[in-house]
Amino acid sequence: MTETLTKEWNLAYIMEHWIRVLSIAVLVFTGFYIHWPFMAGGPDSFLMAWMRFFHFIAAYALMLGLVVRVYMAVKSTFDADWKDFVSIDNFKNLPDITKYYLFLSDSHKQYRKYTPLQAFAYLAVGALIIVMALTGGAIYHGRLFGFIPSPGSFQWVNSLLGGEPNTRLVHLAITWFFLIFVLIHVYMSFMMSWVNKDRTLTAIFTGYKLKKH
Amino acid sequence: MGKPDGASKQFIDALEFRGIKRRDFLKFCGATAALLGLSELHAPKIAAALEKASKRQPVVWINFASDTGCTEALIKATYPGPAELILDILSLDYNETIMAAAGKQAEDILAKSKRAGGYILIVEGGIPTKKGHGMIGNREMLDVFKDMAGSAVAVLAVGSCATTGGVPAANPNPSQIIGVSEGLKRVNIDKPLVNLDMCPMNPEYLGGVVVNFLLLGKLPDLDQHGRPKMFYGQTIHDNCERRAHFDAGRFVEKFGSQEEAMNYCLYKMGCKGPMTYSSCPKIQYNNRTSWCIKAGGPCIGCAEPGWTDKFAGFYEKLPGVKIPGLGGVEAGADTIGAAAAVATAAGIAAHAAMTKSTGRTKDKDGGKK
Repeated sequence: MTETLTKEWNLAYIMEHWIRVLSIAVLVFTGFYIHWPFMAGGPDSFLMAWMRFFHFIAAYALMLGLVVRVYMAVKSTFDADWKDFVSIDNFKNLPDITKYYLFLSDSHKQYRKYTPLQAFAYLAVGALIIVMALTGGAIYHGRLFGFIPSPGSFQWVNSLLGGEPNTRLVHLAITWFFLIFVLIHVYMSFMMSWVNKDRTLTAIFTGYKLKKH
Repeated sequence: MGKPDGASKQFIDALEFRGIKRRDFLKFCGATAALLGLSELHAPKIAAALEKASKRQPVVWINFASDTGCTEALIKATYPGPAELILDILSLDYNETIMAAAGKQAEDILAKSKRAGGYILIVEGGIPTKKGHGMIGNREMLDVFKDMAGSAVAVLAVGSCATTGGVPAANPNPSQIIGVSEGLKRVNIDKPLVNLDMCPMNPEYLGGVVVNFLLLGKLPDLDQHGRPKMFYGQTIHDNCERRAHFDAGRFVEKFGSQEEAMNYCLYKMGCKGPMTYSSCPKIQYNNRTSWCIKAGGPCIGCAEPGWTDKFAGFYEKLPGVKIPGLGGVEAGADTIGAAAAVATAAGIAAHAAMTKSTGRTKDKDGGKK
């Protein structure tokens, strides 16, 4: 069995990933500040105003990043991977990978790019970014992207969730989901590089991963 | 404005009899123009509309489950103000709190109003739907409501109790109290309805709606909760006098502190201003004397449908979350989030330990690279 360095991610994927990392980091930090201001502003500060400013800028980055990612999944000339996410095999193979992670089996099948758990987790992240955009729009006062009147265009979100307090609660709860996702995601990439010795972790910086043939 | 004609003369005489000078009346008309977002030029039109309302629009005001706070707010309003408007310009045929009639006499008035029809029905208070939990003249309140709503031209629900149940409908709602919009559905009556949420309702809002009705012959534009857009179009937060402190990050951390004395933002004290739509900061209460936040109390969200339950507790930023299966244990969303994060970290640690001990990290190819 030989191992060769293969290109796993091209520059577009790497950039999209790191833009998302940066925007989630900014969003979670500023989001928790807006939820519960843990630093007091001084006499001349505009602390909350700046936090909100960066929150909205990062939100735009996250939303547009998702649009770019969906486009790449369909149209990327390097690796259009949308089939990996919608494949029915993901459901069939879910027990296989879950057993492996729960130490009930010693090995798992080889998957093309994402294990079923990864595919579901990334799909969930994409879906929740959309939910965050909608709930965020419903509690934002202004014009989203400069032309969508908010919260006017998102009142249905409030009605659906049973009032604005619930919308805010959902927005907060998903923030915690993102935080927990990042914890697991980072641990998994460390652990997989450690177990498989395939440079999974450094691949998102360099683009190259060791693959067995 | 020219010489007053017969009806106007009569009206002015009636006002003067009550000690209200014409000058004061015109001042009130100017203030109402400003309230409705019209220019000062419209004040004469408003005066004319009120004076010409010689037919005197009949009004029936019924009290259901409430603390009569809205009536109190109305009769203690500015002078001359909405109270005079309601009492003199309208023909208030029935109001349990302030009318002289009682017993059979009062019941007869109600029956007579119903026969005559064409009145505006003002409802104060929630409607108990549990049998025997609210009666007027030995009749269920829901039946009285059905009776009176049937022949009204329009229904105004004043105060939170009347709109969605408010305080009397708070969990566990033993009398199964419902608001007017729900009540109309329950008795299968379709009438134009204006909700004036707030606890108590702001009498100037009621004045604005009535003047709008007399001036234009129709009810004002309503938002998705049936509230007039002109009064419920922006959040309290948007127009708050303490907004500068919010943007600057200066917050009251606890009551009785230096920060509170400096009128810092009440966001961390559970202020619901960011999600409450009302013109409180602009119109205020009691002849624009004060309002909750000016008086140092955080907004409790009383202008929103579903208050109080949806906005409890008053001094907490977000509602507590009920964990199903734990018998109604309420925890803040952050407590749950933190617990989930700790559980995740513990899971990760356990997984890492297992990975090590099962030997998964060892090279599978016998150390060959």
